[in-house]
Amino acid sequence: MALILTVSKLSKYLKDLLLSDTMLQDVWVSGEVGNFTRSAAGHSYFTMREGTSATLRCVMFRNAGGGAEHLAEGVAVIIHGRMAIYEQRGDLQLIADIVQPEGVGELQLKLEQLKLKLEKEGLFEQSRKRDIPVFPQKIGVITSPSGAVWHDIQSIISRRYPQVELLLAPTQVQGEGAVPGIVEAFQALKDVKGLDVIIVARGGGSLEDLWAFNEEEVARAIFTSGVPVISAVGHETDYSIADMVADMRAPTPSVAAEMAVPDRRELLGDIAGAVREASMIVTGMLTEGQDDIERLQTRLERAAPDMDTQRQRVDDLLRAAASHLRHAVNAEKAGVQSLGHRLTALSPKAILTRGYAIVETAATGGIVSDASRLKPDDAVEVTLAEGGFDATVKKVR
Amino acid sequence: MSPKTSEENYADLSFEEAIKRLNETVEKLEAGKLTLSDATKLYEEGIKLARACTEKITAAEMRITQIRTTYGEQMRMYDEDEAEEDDEDES
Repeated sequence: MALILTVSKLSKYLKDLLLSDTMLQDVWVSGEVGNFTRSAAGHSYFTMREGTSATLRCVMFRNAGGGAEHLAEGVAVIIHGRMAIYEQRGDLQLIADIVQPEGVGELQLKLEQLKLKLEKEGLFEQSRKRDIPVFPQKIGVITSPSGAVWHDIQSIISRRYPQVELLLAPTQVQGEGAVPGIVEAFQALKDVKGLDVIIVARGGGSLEDLWAFNEEEVARAIFTSGVPVISAVGHETDYSIADMVADMRAPTPSVAAEMAVPDRRELLGDIAGAVREASMIVTGMLTEGQDDIERLQTRLERAAPDMDTQRQRVDDLLRAAASHLRHAVNAEKAGVQSLGHRLTALSPKAILTRGYAIVETAATGGIVSDASRLKPDDAVEVTLAEGGFDATVKKVR
Repeated sequence: MSPKTSEENYADLSFEEAIKRLNETVEKLEAGKLTLSDATKLYEEGIKLARACTEKITAAEMRITQIRTTYGEQMRMYDEDEAEEDDEDES
């Protein structure tokens, strides 16, 4: 009797069969994209076609890996993924995790695959990136001893911050010996006590030249380094796996050297700034203190019953006396003036102007104010306000 | 503590420690609420720290050490061979 399976059991069996085939769980396939749609959730559904002879259903889930942006109707691509059964519909489909445009080299595909693998393992996690010490004392440098890179790193660090010891771990950085050389260098630097940071660097070159820095062993050496690693591989536009694993990526080896140490000229500026700031604060406090002293002095002078107060009283009295005197003098002056006026009023001349006359005897010159002193025929002189005349007495009354 | 000992202490500080303390000193001054005599003492300490910092980063020459690696050894041996050949050329 033949074995009769339920549909779900058969599906399950097929699923297990696919899972047990290592090739089908890690497969690259090339073809042309068709029936491309992207769901609201961001998953991509499409078929891969080879002319009209064969098609394959594909799905690429959002965040599954890299290169979903290359997917578009009709484009030729290379896809990496695993084969699976979609049990509900009984469809055989490829669950994609890498999409690359057709025509990219094998190295690029390998790179994408390793990137995906290490990313899943958490080697690129931002949260595990360590801070580079601000004031390092020992810096490990993994690079070729003969290249311009080592020379540049030395000259930049000795100019910016020569207070460090550079420990060169020489290695090949391209060719066959590069990967074991770099791994050995990391290992050798593990024995250095008090190492603060490691710079792993290489100058620009082709993808092949830089390849060692895209190898898994190098990535793991960086990942397991006991101290923070600054990676500088190639030029600004080159992004290696070493760069992604490192605690910090520098666009060029020179920049890596700058990132590893502070600039002592800036530090000297900071120190001078701190001193200036402190001086300003203390000078301000001293000036304020001086002002306080002056204010207190004024208050003290006001409050103290000292000789000055006595002296001031004397002054006040003297001033009052002087004032009195001045008033008195002024009053006197006024009196004298009015007296003068009165004297003027008393002058005989003033009386004469009112029509009176003065009579004097010619013989004795005395003013005659009593008629009995005269007798007929006495000569008299009469003075008027204006002029006068001589006369003779005719008769006494 | 005599002034001389404190000078020596500043010299013993690492640059990192010295500049950290210098910044702390300025921060304390900035915070205010100090008596004039405390402020003056802090100021003097700040000046000493600044001097120690400056001395630490103006002195010193970069040291270079080469770590032993297989490639380094190969290069060294190669250089020695070259040198020997040069000697032979000269003689």
